[in-house]
Amino acid sequence: MANGWAPFIGAIVVAVFCAAAWFLAPKGENQTIWRSTLVLSAVSMYLMWLITFLAQLHPLISPVRYDLRGEHGGASL
Amino acid sequence: MAPHKDTMFRSADMSLTQLYIANEIGREVVSALGELGVMDFRDLNAETSAFQRTFTQEIRRLDNVERQLRYFHSQMEKAGIPIRSIYDFNNPFTSPSASEIDELADKCQSLENRISSLNESYETLKRREVELTEWRWVLREAGGFFDRARGQTEEIRHSLDNDDAPLLQDIEHHGQGEGAADRSFSVMNIGFVAGVIPRERIAAFERILWRTLRGNLYMNQSEIPEPIINPENNEQISKNVFIIFAHGKEIIAKIRKISESLGADLYSVDENSELRRDQIREVNTRLSDLASVLRNTKSTLDAELTAIGRNLAPWMVIIKKEKATYQTLNRFSYDHQRKTLIAEAWAPTNSLGLIKSTLSDVNDRAGLSVPTIVNQIKTTKTPPTYFKTNRFTLGFQTIIDAYGTIKYREVNPALPAIVTFPFMFAVMFGDAGHGTILLLAAVAMIYYERKLERKKLDELFGMIFYGRYIVLMMGIFSIYTGLIYCDAFSLELPFFKSMWKWDNDGKGPTASRVDGYTYPFGLDWRWHGTDNDLLFSNSYKMKLSILLGWAHMTFSLIWSLVNARYFKTPIDIWGNFVPGMIFFQSIFGYLAFSIVYKWVVDWQAAGQSPPSLLNMLIYMFLQPGTLEPGTQPLYRGQATVQVILLLMALVCVPILLFLKPFYLRYEHNKARALGYRGIGETSRVSALDNDEDEGRALNGGRESFGDDDDGIAMITQDIGHGEDHEEFEFGEIMIHQVIHTIEFCLNCVSHTASYLRLWALSLAHQRLSIVLWDMTMRIAFGFTGLTGAIIMTVIFYGWFVLTVFVLCIMEGTSAMLHSLRLHWVEAMSKHFMGDGVPFQPFSFKTLLEEDPVE
Repeated sequence: MANGWAPFIGAIVVAVFCAAAWFLAPKGENQTIWRSTLVLSAVSMYLMWLITFLAQLHPLISPVRYDLRGEHGGASL
Repeated sequence: MAPHKDTMFRSADMSLTQLYIANEIGREVVSALGELGVMDFRDLNAETSAFQRTFTQEIRRLDNVERQLRYFHSQMEKAGIPIRSIYDFNNPFTSPSASEIDELADKCQSLENRISSLNESYETLKRREVELTEWRWVLREAGGFFDRARGQTEEIRHSLDNDDAPLLQDIEHHGQGEGAADRSFSVMNIGFVAGVIPRERIAAFERILWRTLRGNLYMNQSEIPEPIINPENNEQISKNVFIIFAHGKEIIAKIRKISESLGADLYSVDENSELRRDQIREVNTRLSDLASVLRNTKSTLDAELTAIGRNLAPWMVIIKKEKATYQTLNRFSYDHQRKTLIAEAWAPTNSLGLIKSTLSDVNDRAGLSVPTIVNQIKTTKTPPTYFKTNRFTLGFQTIIDAYGTIKYREVNPALPAIVTFPFMFAVMFGDAGHGTILLLAAVAMIYYERKLERKKLDELFGMIFYGRYIVLMMGIFSIYTGLIYCDAFSLELPFFKSMWKWDNDGKGPTASRVDGYTYPFGLDWRWHGTDNDLLFSNSYKMKLSILLGWAHMTFSLIWSLVNARYFKTPIDIWGNFVPGMIFFQSIFGYLAFSIVYKWVVDWQAAGQSPPSLLNMLIYMFLQPGTLEPGTQPLYRGQATVQVILLLMALVCVPILLFLKPFYLRYEHNKARALGYRGIGETSRVSALDNDEDEGRALNGGRESFGDDDDGIAMITQDIGHGEDHEEFEFGEIMIHQVIHTIEFCLNCVSHTASYLRLWALSLAHQRLSIVLWDMTMRIAFGFTGLTGAIIMTVIFYGWFVLTVFVLCIMEGTSAMLHSLRLHWVEAMSKHFMGDGVPFQPFSFKTLLEEDPVE
């Protein structure tokens, strides 16, 4: 299942981003702030995405809806 | 020593410096350092009172000048003359020389005299005007009384002759005895008093008169239609004109006394109408003369004030700085023999070069041959904690500082909080639409930063403006979490193909999964509006909170390792961090693992029903070694693994309890056996110091942190540095460690549960925005045509206002407070020591920020 690889691909992307953020952060007295903010943001956003993705990987329940009317009923507001 | 760069990660490296300043340039040096704003001067004269200090005379003089400036300011406000704003000056911050200050003081003195004399004459004139106006009213109103009363003299006379006659009969028998109209009151020995009295006193006045004179009077009064302005305080008072007729000189004198004591102003009125007319004419001419004089005085005063107003703001700044300079000079000690001032100050080590070059500049300018000497002193005192903040970090640093002052060189929790604080907020606030509103508001505030900074903002908006960069981060992360939750103003965001397909040609009610496809980003939008949507999102959000909480707490716990390594206290690693980490991970790390593991396994494909994690955890504690009866294990060997984890956690408790105190006792005894005692005391160098006093002052200032906590922290820190000048008390350390252990173990449970607030708040936010949409916009969509358009417009505004005020401001505040708590309590309790001393540099900039001159 190709889908199962997504978290790992995501992890690699985030790792690359973090490395880039670490080394490309603007020099000067705010370098620490740039590094920490970018790395932490990337990691926490990845974590949130990962948790959401994993929660739907093998869902135990499926949506049930009684007010559907037909082919495009799902889109009714 | 080569100072490394100061970052936000740890507080800046500080040095205690000693300055030897020639007495002549003391003022210039301090004012130059005040412009730099990097030195925290210690008070070397703590035992002398404010009046005994060297520069009290100067401060008193400046106080006087300041008072004069404030007087000008109040006069300007009274006259409504605008002050030229401080921002209109290019550089009001150049420090003036001493002679310029003298000049300014003299100028202020003469200006004050001039203004106050002008004011005095203006007030006198004004008072005269009021008196004349009142007199005019009395003349006008009293004339009416006289005209009426003259017709009744006979009546009055009759009542005087006949004791039985009622006093007020004249009212009933109006218009009798006209023949005696020209008979004067004086003939009848009737006198009268006329005057003006404030309206609210009239009742009391009447009552007192009636009682003291036993009714032997005839009083007439009428209201003055326009209010009289009191020139002293510019208040409007409505007054009444009264005229009292009575019989006999003594009674008249009594009436006069009573009316004067009640604040009435008496005016002479002639009973002859011709003379009265002349009086009125005279009063009128005098009034018009007065008005022109008043106008002249006023315009002179205004011109004078306007001239002052052009320069008042920089003067105020100059005087404020000058006063602060002398107050700082008062903290120095003075060496009478060598005519030098000696100062001690904490300064960031990195700024020492700057300080030295500034000092030599001042020296050169003064042309003094004696240089100012800067010495670095080694000391055992705790240096103050100082973080250089910028516009972006200031808000985050303030949040952390509000909880406690960070210990010197400790890991600064504000650095990770730049991300974690708004992120936790966003987990609770997750809605892309509301996030966009926050983001736009923050961007607007940042764009108009300059303008808004100069304005006086009200409290709530001022607070939001102060945290504008926090709001910015909150907005960005809220948009992200909104996308993850697939919510924008509670509507779904169908960006990708759904992983669910409705059965029965889209009629439902059930859905089946598209094979081998998982929704790639965020929650699947098909869940929106389904009947079991809550069932799914509750399970998801609850686990999300636990996992994020676990990650956040592990992250925070690791900082305690970083701290222990930095402060070189290995016992904190082996006695606190390692057992604590094992304890936490073997229970909650395992829970996090189980959650993820359960998600990853394809239970339907395996044809099994997954076990409940909650029951699993309960059985893990209540019946170790067994699983919930009648369920499949999560994985093979689950029971054994759980027993091992539980044992590991249990073993950690005694280690956490005893290792550190017993190790400290062993260390102490070893040092004692070798004969070391109180090394710390001899290594104090500071020449001008009163150690005892300092210690007491520090403890006094930190009472809020809890005393025993403090003591222990100091001991552990001191042992780490090999300076043992605190009594070693095993009992205290033990008690502290027991408390720490119990707290840590219980907190692991309660704090994990506490992160469930992420779930609760995000659920509440989502439900609330759904309800709001359903109650407003959804209804509006039901109408069509012109009515529909009108209804839509009205409802849209209602919906938008409610969205901003209820969902963004109210809900946002609540999510912000919960995120704040997660940081202060759940995260910072894992590593924060927080017994630092705040760095309070002597800086003109902060001085003017705290007490701004507009």
